[in-house]
Amino acid sequence: MSAIALRVRPLRLRQLVATGVALGLAAAVFATADWAWQAVPRVSPLEELSYYPSGQHVRPATLGHAETAADLAWLRAIQYYGQHRVTDNRFDHLYHVFDILTTLAPRFESAYVFGAFALAQEGRRFPQAEALMLKGCENNPGSGRLAFETGFLYYVKPNGRDLERAAEYFELAANLPGHPDAARRFAAFCRQGSGSLVVAAALWQQVREHSSNAYLREIAERELARISEAIRTGRKDLARVRVTTPVVIVKPVP
Amino acid sequence: MNPQQPPAPAVQSSAAGPATWPDGSQPVVPGAADGAPAIRTEGLTKVYRGNWSLKTAVGLDRLDLEVRRGEVFGYLGPNGAGKTTTLKILTGLLKPSSGRAWLMGEPIDSIQSRRSLGFLPEQPYFYDHLTGVEYLEFAASLSGLPGREAARAARHWFGRIGLGGRDRLVLRKYSKGMLQRLGLGAALVHSPRLVILDEPMSGLDPFGRRDVRDLILEQRELGTTVMLSSHILPDVEMLCDRVAIVLKGRLERVATVSDLVHGGSRSVEVRVEGAPVVELPAAWQGRVARVERSGESVFTVSDPSLLQDVLARLVQSGAVIGAVTPVRGSLEELFMAAAEESAFRASGRRRSA
Amino acid sequence: MTAVLIARNTFREAIRDRVLAGVVGAGAALLLLTVIARPLAMGEGTRITVDLGLSAISFLGLLVVLMVGTNLVAKEIERRTIFNLLSRPIPRPVYLVGKWAGFAGALWAVAMALGVALWAVVAVLGQPGLGLAIAEAVFLAGLELSVITAIAVMFSAISTPVLSSLYTLGLFAAGQWSDDLRRFAERAPGAMRPMLDVIANLVPNLSLFNMRSLAASGDTAPVLQLGVAVVYALLYCACVLAIGAAAFESRDFK
Repeated sequence: MSAIALRVRPLRLRQLVATGVALGLAAAVFATADWAWQAVPRVSPLEELSYYPSGQHVRPATLGHAETAADLAWLRAIQYYGQHRVTDNRFDHLYHVFDILTTLAPRFESAYVFGAFALAQEGRRFPQAEALMLKGCENNPGSGRLAFETGFLYYVKPNGRDLERAAEYFELAANLPGHPDAARRFAAFCRQGSGSLVVAAALWQQVREHSSNAYLREIAERELARISEAIRTGRKDLARVRVTTPVVIVKPVP
Repeated sequence: MNPQQPPAPAVQSSAAGPATWPDGSQPVVPGAADGAPAIRTEGLTKVYRGNWSLKTAVGLDRLDLEVRRGEVFGYLGPNGAGKTTTLKILTGLLKPSSGRAWLMGEPIDSIQSRRSLGFLPEQPYFYDHLTGVEYLEFAASLSGLPGREAARAARHWFGRIGLGGRDRLVLRKYSKGMLQRLGLGAALVHSPRLVILDEPMSGLDPFGRRDVRDLILEQRELGTTVMLSSHILPDVEMLCDRVAIVLKGRLERVATVSDLVHGGSRSVEVRVEGAPVVELPAAWQGRVARVERSGESVFTVSDPSLLQDVLARLVQSGAVIGAVTPVRGSLEELFMAAAEESAFRASGRRRSA
Repeated sequence: MTAVLIARNTFREAIRDRVLAGVVGAGAALLLLTVIARPLAMGEGTRITVDLGLSAISFLGLLVVLMVGTNLVAKEIERRTIFNLLSRPIPRPVYLVGKWAGFAGALWAVAMALGVALWAVVAVLGQPGLGLAIAEAVFLAGLELSVITAIAVMFSAISTPVLSSLYTLGLFAAGQWSDDLRRFAERAPGAMRPMLDVIANLVPNLSLFNMRSLAASGDTAPVLQLGVAVVYALLYCACVLAIGAAAFESRDFK
């Protein structure tokens, strides 16, 4: 080794040594970062947002870029939902985050929809879901889509449909731009007072076929499965979502 | 003034008569009292006030100056004497604390005074991403040349200042000497009648300095008034008709270079080979000095009337005379003398204070 | 006209500066990123692309103003290029206006380039109809950047580059908060209220130029609002440049 060193010019040797040291350190940095990701517990991306009291307090900090901040929060919310859905099925921060998100971007319609249904169906927090949807309608009074989804939410309300309110919102939707074609039909169903499973199935079918949100499609799929089971066995109570302590499903994280 | 056609590549002076402007008009004869002088100041003063302290520093103290049309005027002084302050006030970059000044008859607070002015600031810097020709064109059009005139003048002067062939090079890549030449080009591109140059030779190699000297002499042929400030005495001596010396913000002296040269000492140096033994009469003491140098001796005869006798004595002693050279008075002497006088006056003021 | 000459020269210098090219590159890279992140967005990919794209134009534009714009005059003074200009028959206010116009023009060029890129991406992703809303948002962003540039030029004429950047950033932030200031003023005790109102009117009301909340849904602002924005921008720029010119007139260049 020393014979080789003697033959290499001093400058070249220094360059080689410096490069070697740099590469070695880079490898060490790489390994440490990788290990730290496994070993050090990380705060969930969404928990930071939960420290803000409200969207009104976050808005000034965005310096005019509230919509973009809302979009970034949306990405994180999606991630949070996906993560908790396969672990403990608890969505403690979901409402707060969507509340902030929709304050930052009041016209972000999909946020109201997804937030409300995730809260209602998965999170078992109907009052919060309702509050979110109503906020959406208030901020977007001309939105047929949101009115329709609000009606939908009341229709599939766990522990008993709220037909009165559902009808109200389906009718409202029918008179506003952007509503699905079936709005008037569903309004009629509600007025007839029929708490029909078939109607509910039709509503969920729409979501499964037309929603661009994969998570919403999953929710719809599950509901359809439950409804068809109930129809098959004639046990309507199966169609209702149980409002008891949620079952903790422990699955390995994929 | 707008030339009717592009400036000629060389001054058209000929046996037929004096040089002409490109537009055919005759230049002004140096020193002619034709209208207002090129530059005039009256009691021009600049006092600098410190930002946070009440201390003041006098940059310029009641300067009364006059530069005649068509002359090349030297403005001399050590660093910090107020040369650059004066030039910046004249060109509108500084506001005087008091006093007035006129360029070609126009008061300096009016923009018109700068219409026929070309200024080369000390150590000019420029825009990074322009090429030299683009910059000259920009400068020319800002000084009033219409579009195509500006373009032609720019290309002409770019070659004239010795940068030709490098028109694609951006200013960021220019050397110091190139920047200095470009600055000079920018001062001349619009054919001004008055040119003010602050240390025009700085940063240039001997070739560059020769080129600048040629340019200044060419401008003089055209009748342009040139005011140049410098602390390099030999250049000033060679180029200027008159010279002003400014020290610590005050004008110490104004003289013509020829007055000065003839008014200076008129010693003669006699170079003799080797180190011969020569006996000098006692009466010559103080008027003839002898200095030994390697391979030669130099006799400095400060009294010209003795010259013939000294030469005779040397030849008689068998010395081999190599050269007889008059020592001309120089600007340097004038400069040093003025500095001494000023120091003397200052100490006198201190003593009597 | 002399102002046009200076503007053209300033524009040329700015365009040839690597910073602007870098900014356009960064904006394009950001657009690409949002496209790559589409699967994560649960159907809201286009919204995210539009929001982030528009935010990038404003944000990157602001960065350019802070880094280069505040140097416009101050650097010329520092490097003494200004001696070559002001020793010519150019009134000083004309010089300032020319600098502003040239630089603002360069920023408009960047904004338009990024705006076109954004529209192209959005069109490829299937929603070419958003073009008008994007164009309007970009137009308003250009107005906003013109105002900020005027502020930067003003500070640059009277202060050092670093301080100019800080002051400009401060006035920018205050401008984003002008609406919050007004709301705060409404609830403030008697003596504070008129003072806060005055401040809210003096800082640039940048929210007038912020229609980003509409763009993602494809909505456009009413023409009246656009008109008000244009008039306000022109007035504000003129006022700020006049202040700068007045201060610049008596400045000594040692």
